[in-house]
Amino acid sequence: MAAKKLNLRKRYELLTRGMGWETSYQKMDDVFPYDTFEGIKITDWDKWEDPFRLTMDAYWKFQAEKEKKLYAIIDSFAQNNGQTNLADASYLSAIKLFITGVTPLEYAAHHGFSHLGRHFRGEGARIACQMQAIDELRHAQTQIHTISHYNKHFTGLHNPFHQSDRVWYLSVPKSFGEDALTAGPFEFITSISFAFEYVLTNLLFVPFMSGAAYNGDMATTTFGFSAQSDESRHMTLGLEIIKFMVEQHEDNLPIIQRWIDKHFWRAYRVLALVSAMQDYMLTNTPMSWKEAWDIYFVENGGALFEDLGRYGLKMPKHHELATAEAEHLSHQVWSVFCALGNATGFHTFEPSEEKMAWLSEKYPNTFDKYYRPRFELWKRQKAEGTFEYLASLPQLCQVCQIPMIFTEVETDPMQISFRNTKYKGDNYHFCSDGCKDVFENEPEKYVQAWLPVHQIFQGNCGGATVPEVLEWYKFQPEDGGDYFDSLDYRRWQEWHGNAEAAKTGS
Amino acid sequence: MSFEVSIEPLGVTIEVDEDQTILDAALRQGVYLPHACGHGLCGTCKVDVLEGEVEIGDDASPFALLDFERDDGKCLTCCSKPLDDLVIEADVEEEPDAQNLPVQDYVGTVVKLEMLTPRILGVFLEVDGDGLEFQAGQYANLHIPGLEIPRPFSMAQSPNEKNIIEFDIALIKDGVGTTWIHENLKVGDKLEFSAPYGHFFVRISDDRPIMFFAGGSGLSSPKSMILDLLERGDKREIILFQGARNLTELYYKDMFLELEQQYENFTYVPGLSGPDIEEDWNGATGFVHDVAIEHFGGKFEGYRAYMCGPPPMIDACITALMRGRVFEKDMFMEKFLTAADGANEKTKSPLFKNI
Repeated sequence: MAAKKLNLRKRYELLTRGMGWETSYQKMDDVFPYDTFEGIKITDWDKWEDPFRLTMDAYWKFQAEKEKKLYAIIDSFAQNNGQTNLADASYLSAIKLFITGVTPLEYAAHHGFSHLGRHFRGEGARIACQMQAIDELRHAQTQIHTISHYNKHFTGLHNPFHQSDRVWYLSVPKSFGEDALTAGPFEFITSISFAFEYVLTNLLFVPFMSGAAYNGDMATTTFGFSAQSDESRHMTLGLEIIKFMVEQHEDNLPIIQRWIDKHFWRAYRVLALVSAMQDYMLTNTPMSWKEAWDIYFVENGGALFEDLGRYGLKMPKHHELATAEAEHLSHQVWSVFCALGNATGFHTFEPSEEKMAWLSEKYPNTFDKYYRPRFELWKRQKAEGTFEYLASLPQLCQVCQIPMIFTEVETDPMQISFRNTKYKGDNYHFCSDGCKDVFENEPEKYVQAWLPVHQIFQGNCGGATVPEVLEWYKFQPEDGGDYFDSLDYRRWQEWHGNAEAAKTGS
Repeated sequence: MSFEVSIEPLGVTIEVDEDQTILDAALRQGVYLPHACGHGLCGTCKVDVLEGEVEIGDDASPFALLDFERDDGKCLTCCSKPLDDLVIEADVEEEPDAQNLPVQDYVGTVVKLEMLTPRILGVFLEVDGDGLEFQAGQYANLHIPGLEIPRPFSMAQSPNEKNIIEFDIALIKDGVGTTWIHENLKVGDKLEFSAPYGHFFVRISDDRPIMFFAGGSGLSSPKSMILDLLERGDKREIILFQGARNLTELYYKDMFLELEQQYENFTYVPGLSGPDIEEDWNGATGFVHDVAIEHFGGKFEGYRAYMCGPPPMIDACITALMRGRVFEKDMFMEKFLTAADGANEKTKSPLFKNI
């Protein structure tokens, strides 16, 4: 019998051994200046178990074939005018929010992992981060390529990165990403790989990917599949980093718990935008936000934290509130978008009768009681010509940067949840105990927040009027407003042979 | 119809039904294979097919299993079914201490029956010839007359004793198999069994000290393992925490006390958990994990742990060990998995592989 074959781990070790070394004429601490200040103690980097075991050579081969497949489908989608086979053009609001809200976040993750790929002391962890950095870049690029086809036919897709830097509601994902990017490497990876990619990623990708499939958007579904095949590595990395840190030293535990609490809440608040996308923007919806939350967080997340409990880690703080909010979240977020629909880069609309029946069924405790009357009123006002968008700018939460729209769901769902705290003589406002906690743990960080509303009032956003600010955002006049008054709607009617509606709007 | 699937580098063979996925069969038979999504999207469960034919399955996403990988003979175990006997290579750790002894069929004659406690029966079977070769900690599948599915019982004697096989069998309430054994088995009866099975054995090449946790009739494997270690002249520190509800259920106590006298490196810590503890008991009380926490002050770092007993005991021990900084790689337990176990399992996270 031939010599016994080595297993994959041994083979990988032999292949990569010696890629790192102890420096001699520079101090290790000078070469790797960022991986100790957070207080995480690593006693033995060799205990890092590489979760990927992929060589760069194999990595390129895999990714090249994924690209080949994806681009073949994008091409055929374009050649067959796939955009005409969507369920409805109003579905594009979801795509517009995705390309402006999520794609820049993928790019931010690319930045972050590139940084970690240089600055972790252990070479195993460095290589894992380098590969993920390339993945994130690939995700941003393929999303842009896939969605660029829609830019030929629909409004609001022309300047995602510029808008990510400036637009009021896009500061929500942007500030989350920057919060992680400006932390140390261990906090960054806990935030992105664990809290976002492990605990909450299904809540983003499942509604988005299956939502695309349900609405005839095969191009987007395909990039979803392509990205998800990388996610297995990302999710494994998220688990590995938590296990590695807690097993390395007992002093790490309270630090990690604090990060899990913080980044769970931060990431969850970002997903508030997804909840509206899922329940309201998708024409056909595969599952409600509440259903997704129950499966992916309550059940799967619960099982994970039961296992993490062995280490002494607890469920993230305020998770009960997030679960209680699941029956309200999407309605509240979509309401604020509708109320400020003249300042969004996508179209807003009141739900159709059919959609409202679906919402009543999915949210039996809340929709008819609290939210249906609001949408019916706006619908009536629009028919009568008396509807007006909110004339004033909303107060924002200092941490999540979402307008103060969330309510006391556990006691009085019609009462705005309002928290505040004083720091160095100034008063700061928060949407929840979760955001207030985040602030109070690191006030010096959040007093520096670039809050879009404050910036407008300070005269830093193009001018004092709505049109001036929208121009500074590089919104085109036809990007926002009601869907039934939009260019997208008229074009859709034209494609589908409805000339009358195409001329006049609804 | 079913096929045999050998898993390299473990050298383990599992049986897979023709309409069963390889992953499902492996997990049910106690062999861990890497996996995550379970429905062909993520690619975590990818393996090389070295011999034989598989049906890749329509669920395998073209992005998770690329065309060139299909051509190279890879498959996703979560969606693949065998069309043939197979040899696959998975990304799993090889066990240097596994002897991978072949499973064989045996017929044993009952030579002794002894009530070790009011509810645990010691069954001693004699086998002819070279006898049974096994690694301490492994188990046998015992064929009980009238029952279609055999029942697993661990060998309780030292592996140096190859001809007299000991199974310590607790009477399980409403358990058809154990009831039959307790009520009907007589000296002179013949029983068929196949052995040895399982991956619960001492990783002897690692020289760290060992803690054993045993509860109820879960003592069988630890007893066999301890006897084996001591007979080998192993000099490392060995400690046994044995849990029982009361003194009459605490069996083999005298033997372990004697071993403690005889071997300097062996410590015996029995503990009773009540509620009916005899008055003359002056040893430790509480569940076995609490007894261990008390003994070590909650810090177990540097030890490896082997556990055998009822599931709630194992669960409590795992948590105690991890809080005391002994982690997954340094804890071992037997999992008797049957086909029925998969059906009502609750949602599991992929955080741990073997727990």
